[in-house]
Formats: sequence, C-alpha cells, structure tokens
Amino acid sequence: MTEDTPFQQEYADHLRHEVLNGHMTRRQLLVRASVIGLSTTAVARLLAACGSKSAGTTAPGTTQPKMGGTLRATMVSPTVAIEPTTMYDTGSIAIAQQVAEYLAWVNNDLTLRPVLAEKWSPDAAAQVWTFNLRKGVAFQDGKPFGADDVVATMNILLDPKTVSAAIASFQGILSPGGVVKVDDATVAFHLDQPNADFPYLVASTNYDCLILPSTYKLGTWQKNPVGTGPFMMTAYTPKQSATFKKNPKYWQSGMPYLDGIQVTFNEQTQAQGLALQAGSVDMMLYTPVQGSQALFTDPNVKVMTAPSTMHRELHMRVDTAPFTDKRVRQALAYSIDRPALIQALFNGKAEIADDNVFFKQYPLAPQDLPDRAQDITKAKALLTAAGMPNGVSATLFVEEYEEIAQYATLLQAMAKPAGINLKLNQVTLTYWYGSGKNQPWLQAPMGITDWTFRGVPDQYFAAFVTNGIWNSSKFSDPAFDAAVKGYLTTVDETKRREYAKTGATILMDATPAIIPYTISVNRAMRQNVQGVTSDPAEFLDLTTAYLA
Amino acid sequence: MLRLIVRRLLFIVPTLLLVSIVIFLLVEVVPGDPGRVKLGPYASAEQVAQVDHQLGFDRPLAQRYVRWLGSFLTLHWGDSWNLGVPVFSLTMQRLWSSAQLAALALVIIIPLSILLGVVAALRRDGIADRIITVTSLSLTVIPEFVSGVVLIVLFAVTIKIFPVSAVAPAGSGPFTRIYHLILPAIPLMFVELGYIARMARAGMIEALDTAYVRTATLKGLPRRRIVVTHALRNALAPTVAVIGTQIGWLVGGLVVVETLFNYPGIGKLMADSATLKDVPVLEATVLVVAAIYMLSNLAADVIVALLNPRVRFGR
Repeated sequence: MTEDTPFQQEYADHLRHEVLNGHMTRRQLLVRASVIGLSTTAVARLLAACGSKSAGTTAPGTTQPKMGGTLRATMVSPTVAIEPTTMYDTGSIAIAQQVAEYLAWVNNDLTLRPVLAEKWSPDAAAQVWTFNLRKGVAFQDGKPFGADDVVATMNILLDPKTVSAAIASFQGILSPGGVVKVDDATVAFHLDQPNADFPYLVASTNYDCLILPSTYKLGTWQKNPVGTGPFMMTAYTPKQSATFKKNPKYWQSGMPYLDGIQVTFNEQTQAQGLALQAGSVDMMLYTPVQGSQALFTDPNVKVMTAPSTMHRELHMRVDTAPFTDKRVRQALAYSIDRPALIQALFNGKAEIADDNVFFKQYPLAPQDLPDRAQDITKAKALLTAAGMPNGVSATLFVEEYEEIAQYATLLQAMAKPAGINLKLNQVTLTYWYGSGKNQPWLQAPMGITDWTFRGVPDQYFAAFVTNGIWNSSKFSDPAFDAAVKGYLTTVDETKRREYAKTGATILMDATPAIIPYTISVNRAMRQNVQGVTSDPAEFLDLTTAYLA
Repeated sequence: MLRLIVRRLLFIVPTLLLVSIVIFLLVEVVPGDPGRVKLGPYASAEQVAQVDHQLGFDRPLAQRYVRWLGSFLTLHWGDSWNLGVPVFSLTMQRLWSSAQLAALALVIIIPLSILLGVVAALRRDGIADRIITVTSLSLTVIPEFVSGVVLIVLFAVTIKIFPVSAVAPAGSGPFTRIYHLILPAIPLMFVELGYIARMARAGMIEALDTAYVRTATLKGLPRRRIVVTHALRNALAPTVAVIGTQIGWLVGGLVVVETLFNYPGIGKLMADSATLKDVPVLEATVLVVAAIYMLSNLAADVIVALLNPRVRFGR
C-alpha cells in the first residue's frame, strides 16, 4: 500500500498549517511526517506547499562508491555473550546490527527511515498502528521474511521469561497478544493506549527490537548469527575479534559496497586511537573527546560528529534532606556555568541542556525557554529563602564512566561559592547499577547517571513520572504525570507541543535532576573511509560504507 | 631430591584448594551479580533474579562451592557465564598466549640481565657498574602503562618499526608472531632487568668474596675460568630463585600490558571475570595461574638444589 490513509492525509494537512503558521520548522516537519508514515510523494508535496526551495535530502557523498575491500574497525568488546533480545552494551549492539535489522532506523536528524517495514500508518486515535512489510526480503539462511517473523520476535521481547529490557519500553503501551498478523506482509500493533510516537519503539532506538526469524531459539545467536542485514558474521572470538563478509543476497541491491568487515575488540580508547593513527585499523566505533585529543589534529584522521541527546542526569532525592526544598535544588542548578563546563569537558563538542528531558533537538520540544545561566547571587538567595543561609552539604555519588568524574570535580568547585559543599564518592559501574534489590543508582540520595540517546523523550519519562521504574529522584507531581500522559496519547501536534512545554517548565521549576549538557557523539576514521557517519547512539551502519 | 619434589607437589594441592575457597568468599563480598551483568542496568530486579536463578547464583554459598568443586575436579569446567564459550578451551587458549609472551620476554632478558649483573659485579663501583645499576633500577620502576604507551607512540606510530597490534594475523608463522610480540615484551623486560641484574650482581659479588675464589686466584687460574666455572654457579642460586618467583607474574599478572596492547592473555581474562562476576572462569584462571606460580617456584628450587649440593642434601 503506497497511498496514505485518509487519517494520514488529514494529518499532512495539519502539518502544513503548522509550518505555514511558523510553529514548525521544515526539519521538524520531516521528522513528524516520517513518524506518522507519510509516503514520500506526500512529503514532497508538503514541502512544495510550504514554499520550500529544495525538496528531498541532499546527497552526502560526492564520489562514486568503490566496491570491495575490507573495513577494519575497532570497538569495545561485547561484555557478555551476544543475545539480540537482551543486549544493552555498545559492543554487542554494534555486532548484532551488522547482521540483523529493525522495522525502521532512526536517522541522525531523528527522522525514521523505513527498513524492514516499508510504510506504516496509525488509526485516527493512534492506538492501532499498521505496518506494511517489505517484500522480497530473506534471512541470510534463505528463509523468506514475513509477518510471522515480526510477530514472533515481538512476542519474544514482550515475554517476561525472556528478561528483555525492551519490556520496560513497552510497559503500558504494548502487551503480549497486541501484535497481530494481518497477512504475510502486514502486521498490526494494537496498543493499550494511544501513542503518537509508537514507530520509534520498534525502530533502532529501542535497540533490542532486531527482527529475528520465527524459528529463533533464545541464546543461540552467538553460535548461529541470523538476520536480514547487509553482513554475515563468519567468525567470532569473544573479547578478541569478529569477522563479517558481505551478504550477497541483501535486499538493497548493489549494497553493501564492502566485501567484509574485520572487527578487533579493544577496551581502551587510547589504544584504539593509537591503532587508528598507526593505520592498523580504519575506524573507531566511538571516540570520546577525553583521551583522543591527538586524533582531532592528526591529518590522516577525520572525526565525524553527530549531535545527540546522550546526557548525564544528576538526581537529587526530593524526599531526602537537604534537597526536600526545591529552592535548594534550584540553587545547585544556578551555581553551574554550563558553557564553561562544556568547554572544559568536551572542548565545546556538546550542547547546553536545561535540566529537563525535552531536549531542543526533539521537534516538539519548546525552543524558547531561557537557558539557566550561572548566577551565584541567586543561588545564595535561594538557599537563604529555603532556610539555609549558611549553606548545605551533601554526598554526591559519582560513577566511574568517561568524563563524569571530571564533571563532578568541576561541579564541586562551582557549587562551593554558592554555599553548597559537595563530598564526592566515586563508585564503579558495577557498584552503581547494583545487584538484586540493591540498585544504588535508583536509591542514592544524590548521584550522576549516564543516559544514552533516545529518538524521542518518551523513554526518559520513566525517570520523572510518579513511581517510574527509573525514577532516581523519587520526583512525583500529578501535573507532570498528566502532561506526560497528554504528550504521549494525543495526536494533535499543537497540543503535544503545549504538553511538552508544560512538562519542561515543571521539571525546570522543580529541578529534581540537573542535566547541564547533551553530548555530541564523535567517530574517528581514516581519511579514505567514506559513507559512514557518526551516530547519536553510537550505532554503526556500514551499508553505504566504502574505502576510497 | 626426589622426595623433596614429591613433597612439594603434594603441598600444592591443599594450597590450591584453599585458594579456590578464598576466591569464592571474595566473590561474595564484591558487589554485583552475574544476572545484572548479563541483562544490563535497565532490566528489572525480578528479571535479574530470574537469570541468577538459572545460573544457580542464588543457592547457598557452601552448596555452590561443592557443586563447582565437583565439576572442576572431573574436568567439566562448564561454560563461561558471560561469554558463552567453554571455560576449559578459553582458559587454555589464553594461557598459551600468555606463555608465549612470557617465554619471549624471559628468553631475551635472562641472559642479558645475568650478563649485565656479572659485568657490574666484576667492575664493582666502577663506571660500568654505576651505569648498569642505575639504569636497571630506573627501568624497573617505570610503570608498564607508561613505558608501553611511550613505546607504542615512538615505535609503532611515529617511526613505524613495529606493529601496533600484539596479535599477528591468523595463520602467521612463528617469526611473524614473535615480531608482533616484541613491543609488548619490552615493558616486561624493563621490569625484570632491574630484579634479575641486581640479584645476579649481588650473588656474584658474594661469590667473588669467598675463600675458594681467593684460593683459585692465588693458585693462578685465569680470571675468566674462575668466574665462569667456579663463581657463577654459586652466584646464580639467588638469581634463579628470583626468576622463579617472577614467572608466575609474567604469565598471569600482566593485566596492564595485555590491556594496553590488546593482547588476549590470561591475566586480563582473570581481571575481567572478577569484575563481571563470571565465577567459573574466575576460579579456573586463578587456579591455573596459582598452579603456575607454585610449579615455577618448585622448578626454581630444584635448579638451585642442582646448582648447590648443600641444599640438595639438606644442610
């Protein structure tokens, strides 16, 4: 089906009005259009109607792709045996994503690119989403791909016995039995409640949702890697290396351009960087700014960047002294010099964030809320008003991860003049994420946790809604819960934007967490590597990669 | 002599048993659990409990230990909880890799250190002695991650003499493999040079001061003959003992070098399995390395006994 449903046509009209009224930029229009599943002709018509001069995307590459060659990549090793339905670490995800695919892929600009699904559309209430699957696709072992595989994969993910983290993403939205085969090439998702962002939950940003054959048995992927993707994994040695060769029957004709990929695992960023400089690898999966300064100035290396909503959340438990009074939390927020922090930690390669999860990159997020600049006088006044004119003290748990320790040290220095004395308690990741019923990151009075990129803010809400599963700050505000519910279940763009603004304003006022920046994700590679960009979630798509 | 060896071998068994118990106890104390490692931070506590149950991690400590001991002794080492591959082949592969690196380092450094130590002793308090002593001491104290990084930057990135990867491509011959191992072996040699050379020097000085050497000199024997045939044998005893204690470290203790050079050795496997609470692999690697420590010490003691008959006959 390539024709848009009447609902979609109506929605397109609504989007056109939004743009003509100046409520939406062309970029935001493209994102929302892709989520609702508008056909490319409809989008082109929309752009023309909006008075856009250029329709469609600009071609990234200027040279003709060169066929052949083996790309040598280095990345951190998968931490555990690779199992697509339960994976969570960068290494496992990067490996699995070469072999298997999602229904859709989240592009760097947050638009959705159809992959195994060609097109999708919601009903008028956005509670039933129908996905039309791509025809003529087969798994690498020859089995044809169809609706049965999608239904089976989704049921595995939704089954509590699978212990997939995807269940948390689908909670309250999709239940087992909600995924129904309509015919061999069509699947319908019957949601528990309306959700205007649903396609993101079956796209790459919900990374466990790789589509596997209906015959797949849990725990067998590492020995027998299956998928519909551009590369086949021919060898895997844990903690050492992985070898891929091109899938000759890949459904995108003419691709991939590479003959194969050779992955070497390496835990250390510095060692990866040295290998890249020496020319023994062609690219690094992820290049954090810290420790890779030499790469940014090496003439043989280029560093691609992608803005991301990856961030660090510094939560303060609203039920524990001294942070029970929101003025104390706000005081800490006002003591931070955000631009200076970004310069010191990332050499400028990050964006300012304002203590709420409706990051400016999201199309529906408010763009006009004022940034929180450093204001020590105001911070002191807030503390005095809260009944603590002599300042406060608290212990801040700092997880050992990338730049977080340096962030905490700088924060400690910035907070001191305002009267906030922080004692730093550095802990390992293992300790922080805990075991059994003991999960410090959800219980500590004050701590910094790393959060990865998500295509929509929906998956961050669990940190702030009442009884949210990832709610470290124990923040609870019925007004916020209502704003989130409204945001998720309404289809009307204008109303959604209002809910987002309400939600952002509430969070900024209550400040249960401090989020001063979102990090840009860098990826370093040799100059001759083409057709690969960086990715906000550190994902690796080598379909169009080639070695010039 | 044979009795000495047999007695020592028998002593190894209860020691290893004790070590295995200590590891189990330490794993209990350290935070984290394998279920959480397998599922990641975003899985719920119930999901984690499920996986722990599957792995048998929620059973009482004593029960877990006995089950593990039973399967370990019958060589059913099972699968790694994290990596999903059989523990036995994983451990042995890594051990073989570490052994190669250790062997290369030892083959180069033992003759070199002994030579330098002897030269320093013969030219005691002279320029050569000062240079050798100070240099070897300085090289020993440089941390391996510092010397390693400097070596890589100098000899693999800037002046491309050596490859940056310690692992040769699959199917390479022995010479290529040695070529790839030279760079990671150098920080090890720096560390060992100090120990062995100084021990050789001290042993040599002591041997040269003995009455029988004085007698040999007065008898008119050539200096070379005195040193090589008479003094060296006695000088080497403490040196061999030191080398014996170092072998265990060279095989199982190289976490830093293995991480820096991305070399798949047993030291790093041990460290990783400890962090990730992979108990089958942790126990296997610790016991293997402990056994190597004890066997290499035994071998060193045997060699000392061979060199020095007084030790052999217990006087």
